[in-house]
Amino acid sequence: MTAGGLAPHMMRRQRLGDAVFRGATRGFALGVLLLLGAVLMALAVGAEPAFRKFGLHFLVSDAWNPVKENFGALPAIYGTVVTSLIAMVLAVPVGFGVAIFLTELCPPVLRRPIGVLIELLAAIPSIIYGIWGLFILAPMLQSTLQPFLIDTLGEVPGFGILFSGAPLGLGVLTAGIILAIMVLPFVASVTRDVFLTVPPMLRESAYGMGATTAEVVRAIVIPHSRIGIVGGVMLGLGRALGETMAVTFVIGNAHHISASLLAPGTTISATLANEFTEAVSDLYTSSLIALGLILFVITLVVLAGANYLLWRLAARDAV
Amino acid sequence: MAVASSALYHRRRAANFAILALSLLATAAGLIVLFLILWALLSKGVPALSSDLFTKPTPAPGNQGGLINAIYGSAMMTALATMLGTPVGILCGTFLAEFARGSRLAQLVRFVNDILLSAPSIVIGLFVYQVMVVRMGHFSAWAGTVALAIIVVPVVVRTTENMLILVPASLREAAVALGAPQWKVVVMVVYRAAIQGMLTGVMLAVARIAGESAPLLFTALNNQFWSTNMNAPMANLPVVIFQFALSPYADWQTLAWGGALLITLTILGLNILARFVASWSTFAK
Amino acid sequence: MTYDIRPMETPSRTRPHLIQMPTVDKPEAAPLEQAQPKIAIKDLRFYYRTYEALKGINMTLHDKRVTAFIGPSGCGKSTLLRVLNRIYELYPDQRATGQVLVDGEDILDPRMDLNLLRARIGMVFQKPTPFPMSIYDNIAFGIRLYESLSPRQIDERVEEALKRSALWDEVKDKLRESGLSLSGGQQQRLCIARAVAVKPEILLLDEPASALDPISTQRVEELIADLKSDYCIVIVTHNMQQAARSSDYTAFMYLGQLIEFDQTEAIFTHPKERQTEDYITGRFG
Repeated sequence: MTAGGLAPHMMRRQRLGDAVFRGATRGFALGVLLLLGAVLMALAVGAEPAFRKFGLHFLVSDAWNPVKENFGALPAIYGTVVTSLIAMVLAVPVGFGVAIFLTELCPPVLRRPIGVLIELLAAIPSIIYGIWGLFILAPMLQSTLQPFLIDTLGEVPGFGILFSGAPLGLGVLTAGIILAIMVLPFVASVTRDVFLTVPPMLRESAYGMGATTAEVVRAIVIPHSRIGIVGGVMLGLGRALGETMAVTFVIGNAHHISASLLAPGTTISATLANEFTEAVSDLYTSSLIALGLILFVITLVVLAGANYLLWRLAARDAV
Repeated sequence: MAVASSALYHRRRAANFAILALSLLATAAGLIVLFLILWALLSKGVPALSSDLFTKPTPAPGNQGGLINAIYGSAMMTALATMLGTPVGILCGTFLAEFARGSRLAQLVRFVNDILLSAPSIVIGLFVYQVMVVRMGHFSAWAGTVALAIIVVPVVVRTTENMLILVPASLREAAVALGAPQWKVVVMVVYRAAIQGMLTGVMLAVARIAGESAPLLFTALNNQFWSTNMNAPMANLPVVIFQFALSPYADWQTLAWGGALLITLTILGLNILARFVASWSTFAK
Repeated sequence: MTYDIRPMETPSRTRPHLIQMPTVDKPEAAPLEQAQPKIAIKDLRFYYRTYEALKGINMTLHDKRVTAFIGPSGCGKSTLLRVLNRIYELYPDQRATGQVLVDGEDILDPRMDLNLLRARIGMVFQKPTPFPMSIYDNIAFGIRLYESLSPRQIDERVEEALKRSALWDEVKDKLRESGLSLSGGQQQRLCIARAVAVKPEILLLDEPASALDPISTQRVEELIADLKSDYCIVIVTHNMQQAARSSDYTAFMYLGQLIEFDQTEAIFTHPKERQTEDYITGRFG
């Protein structure tokens, strides 16, 4: 009998191996939790001098004067929110369209290749979008879309103020469009995956009643996947909020808020990218870190919400 | 038949046609943009490809030069970050799949991990700045490596966990039934069964950090000269592209496009390789 | 406990021959009176959460004999088998109470070292589970866990195990190929070889042939008949003919209870319980 003749040192080694392995895996898992806390804390510590000096007024002030050392977060927050909103307004319908195409219309043999190509859009890094946006998209918009918008929508009373000003190519709208392109593959893939979870029988019974494809999508597929769609959209929003390089290249970097979408502006991440290494004073640096903290908290809330919804969806489908 | 000729039916069909046409347009738009980007990269980046690109460091404006210092820096930091972040990610993913599956702790860790996965990378850069650059008193390639490693970890955690969960319980039971201690069951049997998927995950993580610029902006910074000193600022492709593209100099801009092309080719190559690995038939099925 | 072997020549009116006992050449084993008890199960109860899956089992399993557990789906036969090597411990929702004495030692004792226990008890599962390694490594895996042998000695043990499992001739030239490259029947014999390679005392077989074609099934049954001379074998099967052919003792279970336990001939020709008779004649299950 073999086990009876087992050397005690082998048994000890096995038990030690188990303990070490369990400890290491558990340790790193806790480490992930600690990482989140550490990031929040490090940012809070760095932002503290700025908040101490400016208080909560920092969040609503639109000053940005490195010389006088007066800083306010409002233009950056405004820019972050507006560019992301533009991105979502553009990317969600297009992403839906792509998902509908891939699940309902596309010939099965093309489904995989086209899906892969759309996902490739997500693989292209932010800086490539930035350089493309600066040299290709912005001039293109400057000579085509922007004059068109100024001449048409810009003339509409009231609403037209969104499209006033000179066509610069760069600006909040361009940044929003680039972000939309970057977020599109996320929205498309999450929406497509969610559409695919609709039980075929549900679809078939709708088709069996003579419903058209569009009606099936609108009445069956979308309501069934509502949670997942919202989760996916929020995930895309979370990404858009944090995008840096693409936005930095095309937003024009002006620390002010203007009514027109065609005007230059700034976002939190663009401000950080442009100014962090130039910040000469401690207060300047601290204000920038404070901006980073604000961004992190905003994205934290959005991403937590998105993941919660997606988790709810997974839990529902598992039943 | 009455139904076929009713106005309502025609309206429905028209609406259907419109929506499907729009969805086709949307997809076409996405694909067109993709090709526009790739076309721009090729047409503007290929002129920058020359032997100089791979032999000379970044030049002062107006001079001839290349990107070798940036290529080295990116390659070095990417490789080291992967080596640093992958074991952490694998062990954490193992914890979620093997030791704590379904527990509240696992759910919490997974939740936090998914948040970190999509968190703004510039914030990660700020974090590493605070804890390393300020502490050390200077920028360094090590700081850049750590920032990239922090981005690698959540990607690897997620793919590892997903791949390990796919390994059937019967395989684990067979190893346990032989009396194997748990660590051997995981390391010698489960990992081997999931190796393809785990490798794919690592490749996707590398593809992700290969293009990341924001985390390097205030950690590794940049370096105009050739340097292999990890304890000092080091050149890297993304930050060089950032600097050169926004400059007014044509030759710098050309180099920026060249760098952009290199990064994109690397990332696309890795993605293709990852898909190829994922579809290897496991032994002889 | 004495065994009452009644002669078969007088079929009664109420209990005609239930099945013809097949005339199979069973290898020469010691007469049943000389069977030594190996495992004594005393008042065993098993719970999945609060659901009582085994309701007080009392049974003795004998060394160098084959005992079959039969019964309809869900009767608890697999559950009972899995108690014997405590493999249920992998799942926190499952627990057992009572006593299971192997050579007098209670294996349900919390102080029992599970890895050592499982090294003494081999298990083969319903679906073949070859490890993702070479055929050689599959067998050597278990051996290396608990014995430090020279490579030459391991070679010998691997050969011995494969010969015992009637697989040697088919794989001796491709020991380095993956275990997954074998056919289903061969994989299952590989799993049996893997289990016997570590020289256990007891072999647990959970429907080992149910996923196999008839020819492979026959080979596995021949194997079991051969292995019986060295091990205490417990086999779960839903195939009554298989139980009748291969086993010395049979336990009939229903809804978590042991309805009847007796020598196989007795169970299949003149079962004492009505339920047993109904099951064997196919009235239910």
